Amino acid sequence: MSHDTHHAPVASKLELAPERSDLGLIRPDRSTGWADWLTTVDHKKIGIMYGAFAMLFFLVGGVEALAIRTQLARPDNDFVTARMYNQLFTMHGTTMIFLGVMPLSAAFFNFLVPLQIGARDVAFPRLNAFSLWTFVAGALVLNSSWLFEFGHLSGWFNNFDWYKSLVYTDFAPANGWFSYAPLSGTFGQANAALQAPRFTGVGTDFWIIGLQILGVASLAASFNFICTIINMRAKGMTMMRLPVFTWMTLVTSILIILAFPAITVALIELMFDRQFGANFFNPSAGGQPILWQHLFWIFGHPEVYILVLPAMGIVSEVLPTFSGKSLFGYPIIVFSGAVIGFLGFAVWSHHMFTTGLGAVPTAAFALLTMAIAVPTGVKIFNWLGTLWGGRIRFTPPMVLSLGFIWMFMCGGFSGVMHSAAPADAQQQDSYFVIAHFHYVLLGGVLLGLMSGLYFWFPKIFGRMPNAPIAYIASGLVILGFNLAFGPMHYLGLAGQPRRTHTYHEGNGWETWNYVATIGAFILGIGIFLAFANLVWTAFKGKKCSPDPWDGRTLEWSLPSPVPEYNFARSPIIATRDAYNEDKYGEKKIGYENDGGEAGIHMPSQSWMPLVAGFGFLMIGIGMPLIAMGVPHAGWVVISGLSVMFLGILLWALEGPGGYMLKTPTSSSPAPVTANTSSY
Amino acid sequence: MSHAATDHNLVTEEIRRYHHFITLALWLAAITGVEIVLIFLPVSLSIILTVLCVLSAIKFFAVILWFMHLIYDHRLLFWIFIAGMGLAFATFTALLSLFAVDRIDTKWFS
Amino acid sequence: MSQVAESSHAPTSTGIDHKKLIMWLFLASDCMFFGTLISTHLLYRKLYPTGFTDAEGHQRFIQNLFNIELTSFSTFILLMSSFLMALAVSAMHKGQIKSFRRNVLGVIFFGLIFLGCQVYEFTHFLHQGLTIQNSVFGSTFYVLTGTHGTHVAIGILWLILLYFYSFTGKLVGHMGALDVEVAGLYWHFVDIVWIIIFTAVYLVEYLGPTGFWGTGLPLTK
Repeated sequence: MSHDTHHAPVASKLELAPERSDLGLIRPDRSTGWADWLTTVDHKKIGIMYGAFAMLFFLVGGVEALAIRTQLARPDNDFVTARMYNQLFTMHGTTMIFLGVMPLSAAFFNFLVPLQIGARDVAFPRLNAFSLWTFVAGALVLNSSWLFEFGHLSGWFNNFDWYKSLVYTDFAPANGWFSYAPLSGTFGQANAALQAPRFTGVGTDFWIIGLQILGVASLAASFNFICTIINMRAKGMTMMRLPVFTWMTLVTSILIILAFPAITVALIELMFDRQFGANFFNPSAGGQPILWQHLFWIFGHPEVYILVLPAMGIVSEVLPTFSGKSLFGYPIIVFSGAVIGFLGFAVWSHHMFTTGLGAVPTAAFALLTMAIAVPTGVKIFNWLGTLWGGRIRFTPPMVLSLGFIWMFMCGGFSGVMHSAAPADAQQQDSYFVIAHFHYVLLGGVLLGLMSGLYFWFPKIFGRMPNAPIAYIASGLVILGFNLAFGPMHYLGLAGQPRRTHTYHEGNGWETWNYVATIGAFILGIGIFLAFANLVWTAFKGKKCSPDPWDGRTLEWSLPSPVPEYNFARSPIIATRDAYNEDKYGEKKIGYENDGGEAGIHMPSQSWMPLVAGFGFLMIGIGMPLIAMGVPHAGWVVISGLSVMFLGILLWALEGPGGYMLKTPTSSSPAPVTANTSSY
Repeated sequence: MSHAATDHNLVTEEIRRYHHFITLALWLAAITGVEIVLIFLPVSLSIILTVLCVLSAIKFFAVILWFMHLIYDHRLLFWIFIAGMGLAFATFTALLSLFAVDRIDTKWFS
Repeated sequence: MSQVAESSHAPTSTGIDHKKLIMWLFLASDCMFFGTLISTHLLYRKLYPTGFTDAEGHQRFIQNLFNIELTSFSTFILLMSSFLMALAVSAMHKGQIKSFRRNVLGVIFFGLIFLGCQVYEFTHFLHQGLTIQNSVFGSTFYVLTGTHGTHVAIGILWLILLYFYSFTGKLVGHMGALDVEVAGLYWHFVDIVWIIIFTAVYLVEYLGPTGFWGTGLPLTK
């Protein structure tokens, strides 16, 4: 295209002449420091930011969890009020799922997928930046509810008329992460102001609009990744040569684009109920609150696999590397992942066994749920097959991945127990369920993601995390986790209910609750230590070779940190595990004759995704302000919509731009001597 | 993907498609007309409903195949759309059948 | 209008342009979106077949509320706009920018007529006593058709922008045709969603004396 050929290739973007976009604005291509991070379209920097935000919110959610466990340590405790307790468990669940696990997975998608498929960027770099900033906007909207709650408790609003006329003053969401109607909805008839009486305060409105914005971010990112994986593979990188992590990214993204619309519509309907007096879930006008449960779980169950499949992908990369063997049964692992994703859409009602679905639907959903155990079990056996006969190196990522298999299996066993509907009727809403999904989500997903962090951190920053601290942290996490959640199996079967802020003495729950709290604090210390080690590594860690683990996939063939153009010359792939084969086998990686003096096309940086994301932030804060009755709050929403629209319009009109970057002229990246790790 | 070389073929192809589009537009209008007449015919309801479903399915697929070029385009695009549509159809058929009338408070039938 | 550079630089692995692929992915996702909305409407029709009670307390059948002539007209208009959109895309592929402008103006005009019909329909129904607050039917009907109308409005805005953009001289060649084709895909999708809504929401209400839902199910138990 004409707009990039008139630039001479440069060795660094700092040498570029200032260039105007089609709108006449100077493009931020040459920016450094903060402006560079805010305008970047580089998938690696976006990935790092996703990771940083995710780790931050993991700590926020962790503090909420510790407050919950402190409250439950003793019977009849009053560490927090009942209302604060509800807000804590709601925000804990929402934060961990949408602001912790999903963005941390997205961090890996961003950083790794283009590297693993031999591409120089994602298909839509600016859309990728838009996903990041929209996610940040949604996260801020959700957590700003804490700020309002704090203001309420501190009496900041006492002199305002809108505050005096509020019926409910809970400013942070308190309905659980699924916000079941009718509690989250309305009752009775709408008044002249088109508002029906509600059961809860504006916390629920923060939750609704926050989740809606996070959904936009996830959808945009997923469209982008499917496009990237299908369309931007290097020559010879057929679908069945894709690294398993990339495969699981593809399946996860497909799940996201097909599952999120259900919650989007459900949230729209709930918003109409609360803000405009509609009757979707209003029982006193004939609305069916049960419909909310259906729509939520049509999204919610695939969401469970959206959380776990990326972790499974990570483990499928870590185990072969540290076993010195290729993954056992690659096609079966990929196929099982796809089957898990597909079946994930057919089991939503197993979350609703106790709602009285009728005998036939209950039996059908129970059978389909049991069927999911099959592909999951197949994966476990394939991982064990990968370990069998391997030269196993117990590095920190490997320890965490082995922990994943073990803990995830425990969670899977209690999951199969739930799938039997009669047994589930006993376990519903008890601590047994808490134990089950924390074994899957924490023992499974979090250990998998931590394993990924320790595995790829040397690639991301070119620095090696401190190993002794990593081992200690892993040990603390696995020990604390089992101490915290193991006893909950017993507590649940002994009758302790979920979502209840305290319990009386004499039920026989005291000891194990106390143990669980001790475990939770050990777990918290472990995770904090593990994260602190990583942050320290990013800045001060010991420099390491580009391939410290003797890796098998393409990303390890690149220098660390990875240059902004990724591949000086595009690779040509001849086999699965291409880099391992390149090092030790017959089939070498070929390189195309691109790059060099002629340069590589780099996309221009842009402010517009950030502007559009800021518009979402204004909409997100404005909607709950309307619900609070703050005067002129509608203008905040209208301005937010305008800013968002303006951002997208200018983004379209500024033109993609781009510049040419020279790459080192050597025909291929210098081969790295395999330095079998320092452990 | 060398566009210059295929430009001429593309134009000939477009002229051929042009006629398909006109024919299709006439058919779509005609089918809609038939549908409107059909609902007032004194025939068994289940027959009419079946015919209506078939007719709107025909219109639906005609638009996605010709107007949206799926018949000319890469087959992957067809399967992507069918995946979304099929999943939506299956999920919401299941959802509709899960809502049984005999479980609803009859007060609302008044 | 975005990401021109990458797609023109390197041929994609499948030969499908990025933009076309992402639009089809979006449409697959939107199937679930409208599927949820339409099924919400249908299941409440199944549960409460007899319509709604207006402000005077009269029981109203949906059949007497709807105006099938108006809806048929707007359906016809939307189908024809789809036809013009196909011609506009075809013109871009042939490089006939003037023909593109003519056709796309037609699409915009027909789209506006459709929206006008919807505004008229909504105000008419409001006068008849159907509000979003007074019944489940009102909620599902207004939100479903209103969401579809919002899609139409976004499509019109998109096409107006493309129309004016074509005067900058940048809407040319393969990438220009692709930009129009992607907008066209969106427009056609909005059209096929209406094809479903027309049958599932409107036509079925005319089957039999009280509509399909009213006769297909017992009124009392």
